[in-house]
Amino acid sequence: MALPLPPGLTPSEVGFLCEMEHVTVIPRQTLDGLELLGGPTGALKPPFPTPLPLWLALLLKKQRRANITPPPWLSVDALTQILDFETDERTAELFSPSPNLPPATTTAPLEGDPYLAHDSLELSAPFLKDAATARAQADALPYHWLEIGHLLITHAPDDFEDLDAVRKLLRDLREVRMSKLRKGFEVLDAGGGVKMNGVGGMEIAEVRGFVGGVVDGLRKLNRSREESRKERETEERENGFGSSSYRDDEDEDML
Amino acid sequence: MAPYYSPTAILTDAQKAPTTFSLAVPALSHSPLNNNSGTPITPATTLDLPLWLAEMLAVSRPSGPASAPLATLDMPSALGPKVMNALTADSTSVELRQQAQWFYGLGERMLELFEDEEMGAVLLNTFKKRALEIADKAQNTRTAQQGGDSGDFMSGLDETERQLFRAAHDGTHTVKRWFEATSRG
Repeated sequence: MALPLPPGLTPSEVGFLCEMEHVTVIPRQTLDGLELLGGPTGALKPPFPTPLPLWLALLLKKQRRANITPPPWLSVDALTQILDFETDERTAELFSPSPNLPPATTTAPLEGDPYLAHDSLELSAPFLKDAATARAQADALPYHWLEIGHLLITHAPDDFEDLDAVRKLLRDLREVRMSKLRKGFEVLDAGGGVKMNGVGGMEIAEVRGFVGGVVDGLRKLNRSREESRKERETEERENGFGSSSYRDDEDEDML
Repeated sequence: MAPYYSPTAILTDAQKAPTTFSLAVPALSHSPLNNNSGTPITPATTLDLPLWLAEMLAVSRPSGPASAPLATLDMPSALGPKVMNALTADSTSVELRQQAQWFYGLGERMLELFEDEEMGAVLLNTFKKRALEIADKAQNTRTAQQGGDSGDFMSGLDETERQLFRAAHDGTHTVKRWFEATSRG
């Protein structure tokens, strides 16, 4: 029996995966470094801040063994600045940019674009190294901003300076960006695209089912037109060679 | 050909289109295709046959001196000029479900058989406009579930549009549930 799983990640899966991101933790008790599947974690020696995966940080926080430092972009000033960018009417078509990609570590055959080479291992969102630690970029929203922001507000409220303001700013940001995404629906077409640089994981998961369905429906309706257009193009190409295409001559030679 | 095991494709192909026979088929006079009446099927009888049968009859050419197809296929009334005009005027107010339960599937099959550019363009536009309406309605879930005056639009959606609505609604709903679930833990 076919299991009707939707293609792509669901929002709960994105929420689960975001806990892989690293955050900066200020330990209150010592703890040896752990050998996790994803790699070893540094030893915890208070009061030195250490990066840890978010799930481990939340666990330690619940046991009151550590405090979590909110990343620089999750402060009132940074969020206000980003919200101003989003609501500015000159940037109505864009989303606020994502953090800069790290410099490439391999050379590439294509000039200036190591991310497209087949044998390079350049990491991009959502696997950037310092997306949510204390060294994160302060004026860009990383890929999992919504999920990480929500989790930190819920489970580490005392680590924030102005919790209510941050919560309100996160909600406003989410509304502004979702309305921008929905406006992008209007230009959906069989061959069209929407500029989505800077959209986060949870936002994509929310619209994935709908947008996928619409584009698929448009593709099916357009199919006969596409096929006839392709047939016309191949005909024109063949007629361009005329009857003296060398392939025909070869066949006649074989006879 | 449509995928064999897909229930969507099977139901789409089961929709009917008017077919005019060009031969006499006396043996089928008592079949359910003829509504079990005894009237003989003579040339120029028009019946509503399901698409999978009608397409095969219209496309096949029996070998022999008379190589005309066994039947000719006409556009079903769901895609006729009256509906096309109504869709060009106001796409969101037409009740597609009443015309055909799998409206867009029907349109796609007819576009395969007849090359009608204008019908293709009208269908594309209709789909886009109604998809925007569906996105709107999926956000305001409370009013949509209570019915109200959006009830007419919702009941007029065909099957593909209903699946679109469910996908849009599920997306928002799952995100909300994730927020609530993590707030508790």
